[in-house]
Amino acid sequence: MSTINENARPAHKGGAPLPGTSSGVLKKVVVIVLLCLAWELTVRILKVNKLLFPPLSDVAVRLMHGLGFGGGSASGELWAYIWETLSVILQSFAISTALAILVTGLAISNIWMRETLSVMTGMFQPLPSIALLPMAILWFGFSRDSLVFVVVMAMVWPIASSLTVGFATISPTLLRLGRNYELGRFAMMKEILLPAALPMMISGLRVGWGFGWRTVVAAELVFGATGNGGGIGWFINNSRLFMNIGDGFAGILLVIIVGLVTESLFRLLQHFTTHKWGTESY
Amino acid sequence: MTTATTATAVGEALRLPANAGSDLVVLDRVSIEFPRSRGSGHVVAVSDVSVSIRRGEKFVILGPSGCGKSTLLTALGGFIPVSSGAILVDGKAVSAPSMNRVLVFQDFGQLLPWRTVSGNVEWAVGKRWPSMKPRERKARAAHYIDIVGLGAQAGQYPNTLSGGQKQRCAIARAFAVQPAMLLMDEPFGALDAINRERMQYELNKVWASESEPVTIAFVTHDVNEAVHLGHRVMVMSRGPGRLRALIDNPCVGSPPHDEAALALVQELRDLLKDEP
Ligand SMILES: Nc1ncnc2c1ncn2[C@@H]1O[C@H](COP(=O)(O)OP(=O)(O)OP(=O)(O)O)[C@@H](O)[C@H]1O
Ligand SMILES: [Mg+2]
Repeated sequence: MSTINENARPAHKGGAPLPGTSSGVLKKVVVIVLLCLAWELTVRILKVNKLLFPPLSDVAVRLMHGLGFGGGSASGELWAYIWETLSVILQSFAISTALAILVTGLAISNIWMRETLSVMTGMFQPLPSIALLPMAILWFGFSRDSLVFVVVMAMVWPIASSLTVGFATISPTLLRLGRNYELGRFAMMKEILLPAALPMMISGLRVGWGFGWRTVVAAELVFGATGNGGGIGWFINNSRLFMNIGDGFAGILLVIIVGLVTESLFRLLQHFTTHKWGTESY
Repeated sequence: MTTATTATAVGEALRLPANAGSDLVVLDRVSIEFPRSRGSGHVVAVSDVSVSIRRGEKFVILGPSGCGKSTLLTALGGFIPVSSGAILVDGKAVSAPSMNRVLVFQDFGQLLPWRTVSGNVEWAVGKRWPSMKPRERKARAAHYIDIVGLGAQAGQYPNTLSGGQKQRCAIARAFAVQPAMLLMDEPFGALDAINRERMQYELNKVWASESEPVTIAFVTHDVNEAVHLGHRVMVMSRGPGRLRALIDNPCVGSPPHDEAALALVQELRDLLKDEP
């Protein structure tokens, strides 16, 4: 351990600067605007069939209407679809996190649990969990439970494996500190292990969320074929059935936006925890 | 107030308390072995050490690197078992770590990074007295943070502190829980010379400020530190991990370059040097 703390950040008005307030943001905005223009102009100049590939302006109008903006024709139906999808993934996220903590917690003290966990993680992490959807449908039917099952299978392994690494790299000094203050198993987990493993935990949650988000949208697309369900994936698939391709693109944009928003929520979480404490490992 | 009187005043305060003399810790023929990482057999880290530590004294364990000082201290804390012999605290064999014997490490990473300076001290106080009222807990923490001179940094997270400040915080935390015994493993080992001397002086001060002085076992390989801090100095040798000498130190807390102290420093240095 060196005397100089490489993780400490120079003081700034009110703590470390929020991520994304640098001049890089301006460049990003320019690039996004250029991409949007390219989409709009390509479609219009080349006179692409609007039924197959609508210009951005059409999609934007659809999106606004879907979200309930823009006067009488606005339906606001997108909120219901996106919420349906979000509620599935949030529920799965909570289940996966709790499961991962439980299993890795048990694996700390028991060598057989540890081996089992390591083998299971090795097996299931490379498996695209959407492949389990047919079995899930057999077991749970075309229900929300099937969705939650495949999404949990997508999320739990990356979270568990990063937690395992996080626990394994906790400094022995902190563990001794916990023993010195006579912490029981539960208190040790809550007061030492979890906060110390938080940097790894956050990166695991991030990866897990990414896997889960892809899986839930894909699973809903499959459900869409059966006319069941009601999430954003289902909505996108329906737009194909009714040749409302503009709606489909609006749904896709929304999926992207939600992905970006959650990503910045994770950054915010880091800003208020591991960055502030200087425990970020990179 | 002149420097001379300050030194005398500190010297007075550093006298052992009246109830000193009764033994708090008894080490009875303690040996500690570790299994060898490859092959069979054992590494003997501490061999056949018998000594007792008196209530309220600062007891220094001095020895060259690798002679088993940390091992002995960790066993005293109850973190590792002894291979033979016994460690008794207050007549009872040590079997597990306890808040009554608080360890202070050399490692700057001993503070909880997710708690501020006052958060760290309050956390420990809360563990020690779970039913203490929050206001009382805060006041107690603030008192000890002030004593070690960290009042201005109380709201800062450990990653914004210097090494010396982190050790001060660790010391405040340890004193705040009022253990029967403090076990300090080279807490100033990673500090620069000036800072180390200042911290030694402050440790003496904090120790003396308690109405009922806490018993301290202090591990070091620095002879000057041993003479400045220890009422008694136990010298260990790498032969392996044996007790070589036990020396009474009348010069505890003496200013640097005190003649008697310098003589003792020389004596200890010779003891460390001409190891068999
Ligand atoms: N966990 C362990 N497993 C095996 N051997 C160990 C272990 N811990 C310590 N030892 C051995 O025990 C001996 C004493 O180690 P210890 O850490 O107590 O020395 P020390 O006096 O504290 O040295 P230093 O001043 O460098 O800290 C060393 O030879 C060391 O290699
Ligand atoms: Mg040591």
